[in-house]
Amino acid sequence: MHDQDNTFDHAQYLTFHLAGEEYAVGILQVREIITYGTLTKVPHTPASIRGVINLRGNVVPVVDLGLKFGLTASPVTDRTCIVIVEAHINESRTIIGVIADSVSQVISLSDNEILIAPAFGTRVRIDFLRGLGKSGDKFVLILDIDQVLSADDLAPAAPGVIGSEPGTAAGL
Amino acid sequence: MEFDFEAIIQTFMAECEEHFAKMEEALVALEANPEDDQLLEAIFRGAHTLKGNSASLGYPKVAGFAHAFEELLQRFRNRSLPVTQQRITLLLRSLDAMRQMVPDAIAGGDELQAQQIELLNQLASGEPEQVTGVHPSQPVDSPRRPFGLRQTDTAAWTERAGTIRVDTQKLDRMLNLAGEIAIAQGRLRQAIEQAGNEKTEALEAQDQVERLSLELQENIMKARMVPVGPTFRQYMRTVRDIAQDHGKSALLILEGEDVEVDVSVIEHLKDPLTHMIRNALDHGIEPLETRKTCGKDPCGTISLKAYHEDANIVIQVSDDGAGLNRKKIVERAKLIGSLAEPENPADPELYRMIFEPGFSTADAVSDLSGRGVGMDVVRRNIEALRGSVEIDSESGKGTTITIRLPLTLAIIEGFGVGIGEDTYVLPLHAVSECIEMPVGERSHDRPQGVINLRGEPLPYVRLRSWFELTSPRPNRENIVVVELEGAKAGLAVDSLHGARQTVIKSLGDQFRDLPGISGSAIMGNGRVALILDVPALLRAVIRSQGNGSAASLVANRSGNDGPTNMISAQYH
Repeated sequence: MHDQDNTFDHAQYLTFHLAGEEYAVGILQVREIITYGTLTKVPHTPASIRGVINLRGNVVPVVDLGLKFGLTASPVTDRTCIVIVEAHINESRTIIGVIADSVSQVISLSDNEILIAPAFGTRVRIDFLRGLGKSGDKFVLILDIDQVLSADDLAPAAPGVIGSEPGTAAGL
Repeated sequence: MEFDFEAIIQTFMAECEEHFAKMEEALVALEANPEDDQLLEAIFRGAHTLKGNSASLGYPKVAGFAHAFEELLQRFRNRSLPVTQQRITLLLRSLDAMRQMVPDAIAGGDELQAQQIELLNQLASGEPEQVTGVHPSQPVDSPRRPFGLRQTDTAAWTERAGTIRVDTQKLDRMLNLAGEIAIAQGRLRQAIEQAGNEKTEALEAQDQVERLSLELQENIMKARMVPVGPTFRQYMRTVRDIAQDHGKSALLILEGEDVEVDVSVIEHLKDPLTHMIRNALDHGIEPLETRKTCGKDPCGTISLKAYHEDANIVIQVSDDGAGLNRKKIVERAKLIGSLAEPENPADPELYRMIFEPGFSTADAVSDLSGRGVGMDVVRRNIEALRGSVEIDSESGKGTTITIRLPLTLAIIEGFGVGIGEDTYVLPLHAVSECIEMPVGERSHDRPQGVINLRGEPLPYVRLRSWFELTSPRPNRENIVVVELEGAKAGLAVDSLHGARQTVIKSLGDQFRDLPGISGSAIMGNGRVALILDVPALLRAVIRSQGNGSAASLVANRSGNDGPTNMISAQYH
């Protein structure tokens, strides 16, 4: 994935609502949006990892950014959906689902329309943000999704912990 | 454009490796059957193709070397030079040199190393120089026996036509899609069944589609299967070289070369096989003189056998050598102090010792073995493949190592259990029986407990508590009894779903270090179920008890704290 902000004058962002806040992700990193289905919880994982889903035969983890940002989990409604994003985590391409209370719109922002996030006040750690974008008279938080998803609880474990069969399941 | 060239290089490298392997096998075979023109032709063809390919891609040094290689073969062909052991050695060493040259050339290295130039000169003259450090030649009185190979059906050397190379990831994706089609069909069937009138025809069509898609799935699985032959044949060279270097004589006999196994299993088999064959040559097969004194055929036999047994593939490495040295193993084991009954240990227990890390009976570390890592590697590799290793040995007669492996890593025979809404899959081979939770145990909510199983205490763990699931506990529960190394433990679950074949999906890097979970599977309803790694799960449970010393299910079963390391020693 290229750095769309430099490649294009205007870049597009998908915005979504989560726990009362509007967030945006670069559209080039969004693979698809699916309706919220049944998740399989994976035991002994951080609460922000809500579980895994079957995405056309591939098992994909689903993350609740609200919990990751220290907010409370929002209830599942019929507007809840999962945004499938392609993130670079520790230099490898990873497909991850992100829960959204609802998907809102696609906005187009040029570089100079992206405002530097203030040092405090936002609900999200500043290193998770690319900046703020204007949507009407409100601000949307533009997420650096690679940074967000790379942070501690989602990063792969240190190598060689348990079976390291690439592509296959570890030994039983 | 650049991308295209990259792809060409990839193909070139893969093809080179294929040619090298084929030529190597054929060279070893040619040594045993010097008059076999078909073998000679096969090697010649390989060298010729290599020359052509590397010349057209602009690697003149490789092409030049292949040319010299081909020239020597040409002299064999027109009978101006006889095939000798020394010349075969020269050709094999030249093959190794080319193996090294190809990646060098691709990386841009254009200079031949001194050693390679030396080989080039020898190829040109057809007169190999004796390599120092290698036993010059067989003792005069030793029978001139072939190294390596039995008489081979030369038809096997002819090119296999109509095959293509496919990335296994593509096959995986096809398998994914076939699985998804099956799930979609389940939904469709339900819809049809609820549709009411006029549904007979639709149902018939649906039946047919389901049959076809199942067949499709099976065929995709089969595409991952490859014969073990090519892998096995690589060891002819190994046996030949090692035997020659150590003044021994040994013959490698292959059986079941056409037995097919999943390509990923083959990949993981290579290291263990190398170790076992090296061991057989180093520890098993005796030197020529010793064999003669014992009245054995001076030329030892190592056999490499593959066959199917149930849903497993069995690989056997046996030698007709000296057998395991019981006395030495006992001595060594006493030194480590890891025998339950040091005076008269049972064979299986004793033989198991050689799989322990750092265990070696060799007096001196040789370049072959003796560092005590070999068999440990074998065990760990085989375990990682969900397989088992067994040793059988008779003093003076030889040793047989038997490996049992599942046919594929892509599928397991799974046993589904339900907890609340969730389904978990246990490998069927780990399950020994299922019982209902006794009434007395239902009342409490403790995460663990002990029940009476036919007079024996059976510890169990409630998976609901262990996995911190919040769903309410039903009235009736079941206990799945799992057995590991003769010790039993129970896993309490809500419901039993029974056995079924399950396609294993990787859970991805994010979930790599979860103890007790080895992967996932997609159920018929499209949901994801987690596959449990029973030994690791139990180990984690035991560790959580603060019983950290040994992850043993049967601690102090017989009053001694011997090596009844039941779970961690799960390799038989």
